Amino acid sequence: MNAVEWIRLIVGCLFILIGMVIFFTELFGVFHFKYVLNRMHAAAMGDTLGISACLIGLMIFSGFNFTTLKMFLIIVFLWFASPVSSHVLSRLEAATNENLSAHCEIYEDVAVLEQELAAVKDDKNTRKEEATVS
Amino acid sequence: MEKELIYHSLFILLLIVISFMLLICLIRAVKGPRVADRLMAVNMMGTMVMVMISVLALLLQEGYLVDICLIYAMISFLSVVVISKVYIGIYEEQHHKQENTKGGNADERG
Repeated sequence: MNAVEWIRLIVGCLFILIGMVIFFTELFGVFHFKYVLNRMHAAAMGDTLGISACLIGLMIFSGFNFTTLKMFLIIVFLWFASPVSSHVLSRLEAATNENLSAHCEIYEDVAVLEQELAAVKDDKNTRKEEATVS
Repeated sequence: MEKELIYHSLFILLLIVISFMLLICLIRAVKGPRVADRLMAVNMMGTMVMVMISVLALLLQEGYLVDICLIYAMISFLSVVVISKVYIGIYEEQHHKQENTKGGNADERG
């Protein structure tokens, strides 16, 4: 094996290691959190970032092929599909849970939430101005 | 020869690690108290199986296995969306039926 092949092996292993660490974090988060909507946050990470890192490592192993192109296609497809499936799952949870308010705050009117967010933003801005003045 | 041995052992190791992770995912799918939990675990398992199929494609030197991986991704996405939609529909239907029967009883009493 010459130097280029060693470099390819090491870089590919590094990417696959990153992917495995992300998958492990995902599993840890799924068992650590107590409610579905929190768990989903951890689970959506592996769908995009974990599989991207793993497949980039495998792409480096495989070299310039049609296989590489197909793996890239899988990554691009999952970037689009994973947020949609997470959204649909959270909608399922919000539609079927009868005491959702025990787990999270619910705003009946979206305008109330917008007002609160605007208030927080104003507060931050005034603080920044005060900091710059002082 | 040396290169092939290194890659072979690396891929086998990777497959073993991913299969243990799959087993842990399966525990979540069995334990999960709500339907969304189970669906989420199945989605995670689908992602890990995709990595497994890609590793197998390089291990067996068969490029067409990556096509299967792509189709697996599409079917996994489709299954999550369809099952969620169907479950929401069934839940709302049952809910409406209960409300209607309650309303009917109240009318009869009235």
